[in-house]
Amino acid sequence: MFLKDAFAISPQKTFNSTFEEGDFVVHESKTFKVIDADYAEFIPPSLLRRMGKAVKMGIGAALPLMKRNAKTDGIIIGTANGGLENCINFLNQIVDYNEGMLTPTHFVQSTPNALAGQLALMYDNPGYNVTHVNGSLSFENALVDAELFFSEQENPSSLIVGAVEEISDYNYNIDLQAGRYKKEQLSNQDLLNSSTDGSVCGEGASMFIVASSPEDAYAEICAVEQLTYPSEHELSERIASLLAKNELNVEDVDALVLGKSGDGRYDGWYDHVTQLFPNAEFTYYKNFVGEYRTSSAFGLYLASELVRNKLVNHPELMGNISKQPKTVLLYNQFDGVRHGLILLKRLV
Amino acid sequence: MTKVFVTGLGAISSIGTNLEEQRHALQNGISGIGKAQHFESNYKETLLFGEVKLSDDDLSRLTDSSTEKEYTRTTLLALYAFNQAIENANLSSDQISLQSTAFISGSTVGGMCYTDELYADANMKGEASNFVQSYEGSDHLLRIVKRHQIKGFTDTINTACSSSANAFYLGARLIQSGKADRVIVGGADSLAKYTVNGFNSLMILSDEACQPFDLNRKGLTLGEGAAYAVLEAEHVCSDKYKYAELTGFGNANDAFHPSTTSDDARGPVLAMERALKKSNLPATEIDYINAHGTGTQNNDFTETVALKKVFEKVPPFNSTKSYTGHTLAASGALEAVFSLLSMVNNELYPSLRCSTPNEEFNTPPIVTYQQAELKNVLSNSFGFGGNCTSLIFSKCF
Repeated sequence: MFLKDAFAISPQKTFNSTFEEGDFVVHESKTFKVIDADYAEFIPPSLLRRMGKAVKMGIGAALPLMKRNAKTDGIIIGTANGGLENCINFLNQIVDYNEGMLTPTHFVQSTPNALAGQLALMYDNPGYNVTHVNGSLSFENALVDAELFFSEQENPSSLIVGAVEEISDYNYNIDLQAGRYKKEQLSNQDLLNSSTDGSVCGEGASMFIVASSPEDAYAEICAVEQLTYPSEHELSERIASLLAKNELNVEDVDALVLGKSGDGRYDGWYDHVTQLFPNAEFTYYKNFVGEYRTSSAFGLYLASELVRNKLVNHPELMGNISKQPKTVLLYNQFDGVRHGLILLKRLV
Repeated sequence: MTKVFVTGLGAISSIGTNLEEQRHALQNGISGIGKAQHFESNYKETLLFGEVKLSDDDLSRLTDSSTEKEYTRTTLLALYAFNQAIENANLSSDQISLQSTAFISGSTVGGMCYTDELYADANMKGEASNFVQSYEGSDHLLRIVKRHQIKGFTDTINTACSSSANAFYLGARLIQSGKADRVIVGGADSLAKYTVNGFNSLMILSDEACQPFDLNRKGLTLGEGAAYAVLEAEHVCSDKYKYAELTGFGNANDAFHPSTTSDDARGPVLAMERALKKSNLPATEIDYINAHGTGTQNNDFTETVALKKVFEKVPPFNSTKSYTGHTLAASGALEAVFSLLSMVNNELYPSLRCSTPNEEFNTPPIVTYQQAELKNVLSNSFGFGGNCTSLIFSKCF
């Protein structure tokens, strides 16, 4: 499966590529919110008014790709929670108005498949259309689905694959009570140096054009793997088998892109993976976007920029990346429970 | 291409807690729709539901989960049907924990089924509830993964009412591509104020039991349930009983409107055509269709248009939602189970409450119990967001 294009709406200025030019947005509040594009430029006002943030961000990230690429054969989205703001707004109305007559807008906008459906509608795309909601593996699942889709097709084909997650006060409250966020306030520059419990809540939409053939592509997604409730040993074994299947040695991986989040309880997983690759350079991405369940899609965005030789010299790029990498392994985990691996290889 | 067989089934719905009970209800036209006994809502008195006749406590006891305070009703229903399916397929715990065994489940309500607790937790009213870690759409799946020590590929799908049909679709391709040998596929949804109020706000709930394909149909009836199937690759089930081969699957988007289907039925037509193409079967070989048949004006009209476009002579069809109500993400899997019960027993179940078929369509559903040789059956699932999926099962004995 080949990567042809990428676009992100994120807490950095990725929407107009100033991030790639070295710009860095410092976030110091309890959540790292996206820097929005001007959605009114490409979404009709009547539609825009009704759209929730997740749908807006998702369209904001997907439409530029749709404009500059040939029509795809389908749309696959990963999102752990979809349009939560709308969802809980509707829920609040149910309780506050004691199940009275409610308006359906929040309900229709809240369903996690609203984005994929809306993209199909705006883009008049009756092709393959699926939304994966498998928590922090939703994006990895979307990629596997794409791979399976291509394996079925007789002709060269392409898909838009992406992920979205939005911050709402409600999911912030729920995850805060579940112990996922830090009690102290930290800037994103300090996040990954922290080792207290929890991380900081981020959000974003990252979209990709993936294709079955390497024509016009700049990278290959060679493997996507997942583990749930693994031991460290099982993770090591899976990485070894992933390399073997792709006829790679440990030394062939020249960069790691890691989902380290500043959560002292689980960051040991990243140290463990780093130790498996003593010669690889490495970097992180949650200093740019914070922690959210489909943040690995931003990880792939960052890795894809690195293999295109952008961002390598970004002043805030952490770790020790010194050159445009050829073979990148991405690793992310959430709660220490769900673990995802993506292997990316530069083509040119 | 590796063949994909169904070797185990498990289902729980308002018409029964095992395959025998549910088949008995279907054979005898006994609907499960009625007044809710367990679901708490202001609409309890005015609306009817296809409620599973077990309380949360019953389900906890029957799944040996009484100490699991974080399990929601969705999780309990899912676990109950999952256990039944793996037992029916005779899967050992070692086989379930193989890396080549995958698990894919669909859900829409997921962990959000306890609206009042979610309200309190989301608005930080008081102490966090037992369910503060249970609200994710994939929560039921993750708890079953932990419980059964599943080590292979897992996925949760939400394409609204076609979610679990897409679980079958993805599972079949995992096997055909060699990424898995066994996949447990299906879905679960419990009744929730969230969906009841949502569908009510769209004014598509009937105040009587739903009447799919009836001229005077007034809308859908919500139900709940869970259903799972064990799919196995040819090479790991050669000596086992096989319900059927999963030969066709098609997915399309109607790309028309967020919550209604198009008059020209583009999505439903494409989903069925793609499934037929995949199965290499001409439309004339389909012997029975389990329709999506929600009982809304919009769905039943569009689906009939689609059936007439795809099939020169529309095969016998029914809507088993007339028994269970619309079980949302569980419906694709539940109706796959019912389609397979029809096929292996060579019988057609009557669609209920279609007393005045739409003459204009001239294609009424079957309304009486019939015996018929069924070789290939098709099951439709269409959802909000334009998500349409069709599955085809073929007899293998």
